Amino acid sequence: MILEVEDLHTYIGEFHILQGVSLKVPSGSVTVILGRNGAGKTTTLRSIMGLIPHRKGKITFEGRSIERLPAHRVAQLGVGYVPEDQGIFTCLTVEENLRLAMRNGTSGKLLEKVLDLFPDLRVALRKKAGNLSGGQRQMLALGRALVTGSRLLLVDEPSKGLAPVMVERVAGAISQIKKEITIVLVEQNFRLAKAVGDYYSIIDDGRTVVSGKMGELVENHELLERYLGVKQAAR
Amino acid sequence: MKMKKKLTVVLLAVLLFLVAFIPFLTDSRATLNLMTHIFLWAIFAMSYDILLGYTGIVSFGHALFFGSGAYIVGLLLKYVGASWTNTILGILASLIFGLLVALLLGSLSLRIRDAYFAMITLAFAELFLVAALKLRWITGGEDGFSFRVPELLSNRVVFYYLSLGALILTTFLLYRFTCSPAGRVLQAIRENEQRAEALGYDVFRYKLLSTAVAGVTASLAGSLFGLQMRFVSASVLSLEKTIDALLMTIIGGSGTLYGAIIGSALVNLVQDWFTGLARVYPLFERWPLLFGFVYIIIVLFFPGGLVRAFSGMTETILFKWQARRNPADNYTPGKQDDAVRVCLKRR
Amino acid sequence: MDAYINLLTNGIATGMAIFLLAVGLSIIFGLMSVLNFAHGAFFMWGAYVGAWIFGLTKSFTLALTSAVLVGAIIGLVVERSTISRVYGNHVSQMLLTMGLMLVLGEMVKVFWGPNILTSPLPAYLAGSWDLNGVIIIKYRLFTIIVGAATALAVYLILKRTRLGIIVRAGVENPEMVQALGIDIRKVFSLVFAFGAALAALGGAIMGPLGGSISPTMGLENQLLAFIVVVIGGLGSFIGSLIGAILVGITGALVSWFLPEAALAVNILLMAVVLLLRPTGLFGGSGL
Repeated sequence: MILEVEDLHTYIGEFHILQGVSLKVPSGSVTVILGRNGAGKTTTLRSIMGLIPHRKGKITFEGRSIERLPAHRVAQLGVGYVPEDQGIFTCLTVEENLRLAMRNGTSGKLLEKVLDLFPDLRVALRKKAGNLSGGQRQMLALGRALVTGSRLLLVDEPSKGLAPVMVERVAGAISQIKKEITIVLVEQNFRLAKAVGDYYSIIDDGRTVVSGKMGELVENHELLERYLGVKQAAR
Repeated sequence: MKMKKKLTVVLLAVLLFLVAFIPFLTDSRATLNLMTHIFLWAIFAMSYDILLGYTGIVSFGHALFFGSGAYIVGLLLKYVGASWTNTILGILASLIFGLLVALLLGSLSLRIRDAYFAMITLAFAELFLVAALKLRWITGGEDGFSFRVPELLSNRVVFYYLSLGALILTTFLLYRFTCSPAGRVLQAIRENEQRAEALGYDVFRYKLLSTAVAGVTASLAGSLFGLQMRFVSASVLSLEKTIDALLMTIIGGSGTLYGAIIGSALVNLVQDWFTGLARVYPLFERWPLLFGFVYIIIVLFFPGGLVRAFSGMTETILFKWQARRNPADNYTPGKQDDAVRVCLKRR
Repeated sequence: MDAYINLLTNGIATGMAIFLLAVGLSIIFGLMSVLNFAHGAFFMWGAYVGAWIFGLTKSFTLALTSAVLVGAIIGLVVERSTISRVYGNHVSQMLLTMGLMLVLGEMVKVFWGPNILTSPLPAYLAGSWDLNGVIIIKYRLFTIIVGAATALAVYLILKRTRLGIIVRAGVENPEMVQALGIDIRKVFSLVFAFGAALAALGGAIMGPLGGSISPTMGLENQLLAFIVVVIGGLGSFIGSLIGAILVGITGALVSWFLPEAALAVNILLMAVVLLLRPTGLFGGSGL
């Protein structure tokens, strides 16, 4: 297990948002966190990343406890984060966005690899990131997380607000990435989740209710309907 | 709860009785002057509390209202005549002036980020200060000017009771204001501006109301202060006056009104004591340094005020302990309030 | 004509000194959302340390260097020990920094006394050149050159270096910078110390420009810096530069005709900008 989360509790202000989230992420897999809006998916990622303090619970990354570490320490240990709004620095160029993420020791090779994976970025290197299209921004966000040399990526709703064509490309990119890097994906788009996911974990009202292999979930109509409201057609 | 309330009322009555009795116990001019000072400064500090404690607005130019109140009354009595009509007219004029200036400064800066109000008020207070210094032929510049007041008002005891009356009346009115629906909205804004906005309140107008109330009250304090001193100089407009009011508010505990009264008593007594000491030991001429350190320590470690800190010591310790256990309460950009402040405030 | 050139150089020179104060204020606000009401104190400390060291050693270079150094150290100590505790809480930040202003100002009085002191020029910068009837005062030119060079250096740092990229990114989204493995708190401290050092340099240069220094100069110049950043747009580098020159020239021109009204006109200018363009002339345009 590259990442283990046990009974995570997080408050935002006075609100008890996470009330017991547990997660086991095997190395080299894609685990998709599913759940309704407001279930606590984003908060889970942010808690793991150390961007919100959690009150209770264990978080272990590669066998090492990362609880209560500040976000930059978590990132330095090898966890990359792609937030829901992509977190692109619009005032910087694409190149500056990528260079910012590269640490001492990150080789130029990695950058080349990322640019091969996202040819759009190579063309736009000198462009202001603020001028990119939504899909390109998502690629920049993914690429930026990759050049940090992270071994685990936390990706929050990469399909949000993208045109179907772009969702396809993001799915393709994730399938490519997953060969080398473990991914935890928060996704509302079940089609995408199904396409790239190996494992799933459903969060409802701040609790992990059920987890397992993606293949089993696809068969389990009752679960899908109860927690995700997935209709027949969408499947 | 009821019991506690009753006890407070009884305590207040006893205290009031004692204070009202002071002129019969002593005829020391210094004591009466100091007490009167405390009353008037308490009004000024309470007006600051309306901004800081009840709305969460920081002003660094509150002396502008205080000082202009003193100047308006002083100038009127000096140049037009030391009559009762002019006294009352002067007070009214300074209230209206305070209202207009508050509305002007508020509408200039309250729509933008909160830092702007602090900057704008500081700038305008400085502008008034420079004006008072430069318009020598009217204001006497740095040296200021003295003026006569109606006979009765120059009686220390009469003025003592007048100030006490003004303090009680202002406290009552401000208390009513903070408990009114509008006052509740202000407190909602202090706790969470976005939420208040989301609930459909026009935050800007409520903030403007708050600055208007604070401005008018501060002007009243200033005009009475001028009447007490029978003398005005540019120092009434200085930043130090604002800082003093601020210090009183946060020492006593912001957002309580009574904290401002306690703060006024504390700060004025200590200041009086230090000024006395400075005559003997020149080292004490630097007492603002000490005040500055105290002020910083309060802001950092006792955001709820010293009074509340002492009464709620256990709670504070508990919270600090919890904060230490949770070092991950690190920087969250855009968050208006840190947990400590909110928690202490809510008490 | 001469009089106008004289006023213009004076205005630009003053503007440059104010720019050094305003640019740190602006960047610190942009990056950490802290409006530093103690910034003028760094300026004042720079002026006093500069004059003091110059009096001791007669070396102006050494005077400027020590002013910058002292500014950076005070800035760093203040940020680490107090301001870093209140990030995210705007009210506490404002109250705290104003308290620091008070304490740092009183400490100047403890060390150098409450009275006005002279701030002399080095001999090689005293006097003026006469270019075909146009009088150029040497020290003003020096101020303008130092100011412009510093502005260029700050610009290049922001534009080209990794630190500059981090700062610009941090202005936009500090949380994401952290999530990329950069310790934003360290960057905050560094930038704060850097801003304080620039302010101190501004003060050390401003002292000889006016010829005298006093414990009120911190607040007075800070006020001008506030006017500058409101006009230029808080958080904008270009805004502080243009705003400072504007405020400097306006001040010089108005002082010539009606010295009493210099501050009033600048405040009026600020009020007009606030009414017409609340974010300032260059607010939100990046850099």
